[in-house]
Amino acid sequence: MNPTIAAMLPPAIVLTSLIPGLLIFALREDQYRLRTQLNMAGVFLKLALVGLMLYGVNQGLSFRFALPFLPGGELILHADAMSLQFVALSSVLWLATTIYAIGYLEGAPLRSRFFGYFSLCVSATVGLALAGNLVTFLLFYELLTLATFPLVVHRGTAGAMRAGRIYLAYTLGGGTLLLMGVALLHALTGSPEFVPGGYLAPLVDSHRAGLILAFVLLVAGLGVKAALIPMHGWLPTAMVAPAPVSALLHAVAVVKAGAFGIMRVVYDVYGVEPMQLLQLTQPLLWLAAATIMYGSIKALQQQELKKRLAYSTVSQVSYITLGVALLGPVAAVGGMVHLVHQGLMKITLFFCAGNFAETLHVHRIRQMNGLGKRMPFTMAAFTVGALGMIGVPPIAGFISKWYLGSGALEVDQGWVIVILVIAGLLNAAYFLPLVYRGWFMRAPETWPGDAKLGGGIPGRRETHWMLLWPTVFTAVLSLLAGILAGTDLSPLAWAQLIVQREFGL
Amino acid sequence: MNLALLSMLLPLATALLLLALRSRSALLVILSSALALGAGSGALFQVVDGGSETLLLGGWDSPLAIRFHLTPVTGMLLAFTALIHFLVAIYAARSRHSQTRHSDYWPLSCLLHGSLAALWLSRDLFNWYVTLELLGLISVALVALAGPKAYRAALRYLLLSLMASLCYLLGVALLYGQYGVLDVGLLAEVTQADHTTSAALMLMTLGLMLKAALWPLHLWLPPAHAGAPTAVSALLSALVVKGPLFILWLLWSQAAPAEIGQQAGFLMAVAGVLALLSGGWSAMRTPYIKTLVAYSTVAQLGYALMALGLLLFWQIPELHVALWLFVLAHGLAKLSMFLAAGEMQATLGSRRLTSLKGATQTVPVAMFAFAVAGGSLIGLPPSGGFLAKWVLLQPLFLEPSHWPWAVGVLLGTLASAVYVFRVVSLAFDRAEPMGPNYRPDRFAQWLTMLPALLVWGMALVSEPLIEWLTGVTRVSA
Repeated sequence: MNPTIAAMLPPAIVLTSLIPGLLIFALREDQYRLRTQLNMAGVFLKLALVGLMLYGVNQGLSFRFALPFLPGGELILHADAMSLQFVALSSVLWLATTIYAIGYLEGAPLRSRFFGYFSLCVSATVGLALAGNLVTFLLFYELLTLATFPLVVHRGTAGAMRAGRIYLAYTLGGGTLLLMGVALLHALTGSPEFVPGGYLAPLVDSHRAGLILAFVLLVAGLGVKAALIPMHGWLPTAMVAPAPVSALLHAVAVVKAGAFGIMRVVYDVYGVEPMQLLQLTQPLLWLAAATIMYGSIKALQQQELKKRLAYSTVSQVSYITLGVALLGPVAAVGGMVHLVHQGLMKITLFFCAGNFAETLHVHRIRQMNGLGKRMPFTMAAFTVGALGMIGVPPIAGFISKWYLGSGALEVDQGWVIVILVIAGLLNAAYFLPLVYRGWFMRAPETWPGDAKLGGGIPGRRETHWMLLWPTVFTAVLSLLAGILAGTDLSPLAWAQLIVQREFGL
Repeated sequence: MNLALLSMLLPLATALLLLALRSRSALLVILSSALALGAGSGALFQVVDGGSETLLLGGWDSPLAIRFHLTPVTGMLLAFTALIHFLVAIYAARSRHSQTRHSDYWPLSCLLHGSLAALWLSRDLFNWYVTLELLGLISVALVALAGPKAYRAALRYLLLSLMASLCYLLGVALLYGQYGVLDVGLLAEVTQADHTTSAALMLMTLGLMLKAALWPLHLWLPPAHAGAPTAVSALLSALVVKGPLFILWLLWSQAAPAEIGQQAGFLMAVAGVLALLSGGWSAMRTPYIKTLVAYSTVAQLGYALMALGLLLFWQIPELHVALWLFVLAHGLAKLSMFLAAGEMQATLGSRRLTSLKGATQTVPVAMFAFAVAGGSLIGLPPSGGFLAKWVLLQPLFLEPSHWPWAVGVLLGTLASAVYVFRVVSLAFDRAEPMGPNYRPDRFAQWLTMLPALLVWGMALVSEPLIEWLTGVTRVSA
């Protein structure tokens, strides 16, 4: 591939959603078709470019774009195996979510504003995935915060405004801590490019206190988005946002940005050995384990479907952090592949929750009785997601947990297995009753409401097609990611490629 | 040098012309500030290429002469002042909501421009006194343009400004009695760390801090800046408070003996942190739009004061860069923010923050400008405010013993995030139906956006800008 084209590819991937987003802001409310065309053009162009890049990175090509920005810290966008996994995930799920959102918001007010920020949000996510050093990462991390806020408050209700303020308080606070951490590291050594194995090893002896403080600041800043306790408070309140936004927040953009950042910091900034020398591993591991348990227990207490899903996210995203903190190659595969798997399954679950709420106004768990008869496709997708979260083979979640468990054994942290088993049981306890209610309990005489979307006939016309098909699509993807885990095309194979490169195997 | 003088004399000449002519004022002012901008930029290019230049007024030799000195920083400030005057003049002329279209604003703003340019060029304590006095009086007159409701604030401003001038003058007299020179460059060679010198420096600093509204002498600023007509508020916040700051900078970093500077630097840095906190706190609580923006000026000046104080305390030259980046970034961001605030306030017909509910739908462009400028005040990357904060943070993180100061920056950042997003989150609420007077002015709204985009555009030249400033401030310091 021509080197200039290769260098322009990373910014082009960011721009394929940024430019449509900015154009959409300028559209009138009633320019429905043009808006949809802009959105879809951006989505497919981005997918094509990401496909090209995937092929290139697999072949060992390098894609790097740099601009001068600060002394000692350029703005760098580059594609390595780790960033591409996240880019590919967000691009594919952006496709599903955009279609879903178009259907979901049909006829709602302020759609130009919504889709504008929606595209900005995806641009920021892709940008931070492609960020080549900490300064660039920080830039997109803050942009993501700003782009998401209007989406959280989109409905404009008192609850939404409150959730938006809480969201801002947490994420801007976290962003400031991250800024401090990045500035501290920059003061010590500049902001060189991310490298497998990290670049801080020479400083471990001379700047011990600085490195530890920086790590605490970085993890605190990233932990807000990754919803590590005690920084998770914004996530359950933010579920008042429209369903596509929740899906984006929980599966692709925000929480994943935090988890991805933790991966970057541990593997490509600090590196495995300095992490052990500075004794930073154990605290992070405990924090992740505590978050898993806490999220699961809180999820069990929720009576509202979206709230239960939100707490389940708190718990599930921490599996990624857990895999990272174990610092072994096998556990790393588990953590990285869970980034994709959790995204696929959680987006399916949120789409389903949105479908139930939009079609039949079902919001609470006790209203879910007999949903399987009325909305069999959605309920089937929900079942796939729920079973996957529990870790039932052959769905994707099983693969992640398998690697996490064997990774824990590999580094002699047997107690993590206990955590995984208990969390799995708790997962089953809060998901299986929903599946049981949906399929095996008798439906009520009348539903809380019926919006008659798509015809209201069970089956492929059970709800609006733009709500149904993205849901089915992501459910099928979560199944395939599990079934085809052994092939070269699966997220698992890609995670193994990343780990080979990171650990130099 | 000639271009620099031109950039100072053009607005002065225009002011005199306007006093006589009294028609087509707006056009003349726009024209003269555009020309001054061209001359200022020319002077900047010259000084960057050819190095600093000195002019001795009246042909006398120093120490009798009044010395004008054109350094790169002065050149930059000349161009910057002209740019801001140019933008504000367009706003004042074109916006339907400008209260200053047919008033004495035009000659006064030209005088202000000229006096500021003279201040940047002077290197002489007494000359500075004259320019300070001019600035104070013109600013008071400009504030009073808002009508009887602003008289109280204007009067308070006048009295405090006069007191500050007296303090400053007393200090100047003490120094002159001790050393017999007034030129900063000459003073730098002779000053000693004795009691008279420290007393004089303290008096001058007190006066300058009062004029620059640096904490704890800031209380006159919010009513004056919030009560003034919008164009005036923008000029006062973006430029006028920076004048005394410039003198403070040269006085301490050049003329004052290092030992006194170190002690005073510590106090200034502490005052800077407290300014961040108290200004931020008040901005979080005020119910009025423009008062919020005015308190944010108090808070943001804290960064500059902190940079100056730590510069004297530790003698780290990078902090010069932080100081001037703050001045540039704050000037542009505050210009945008005050114009946007004034425009929204006038369009929506209320001074209260609550009237901004749903502003993203009723005054979208001005609201966006407010948010973008606010992002720079918070220091979101890659805005100009971020660059300044970044340069300030670097030395703070170098030694573990410096870390506590970083906590001050952290708290200041959080406070600014709260007061900016206090407005932004209101704006994203659903709007209520607009009254019959609702006539948004699209052009004026876009104009408020321009400086905000410029401050974010600083990112495009960030690395050369930082390196250039590092070079020139090291030479001039």
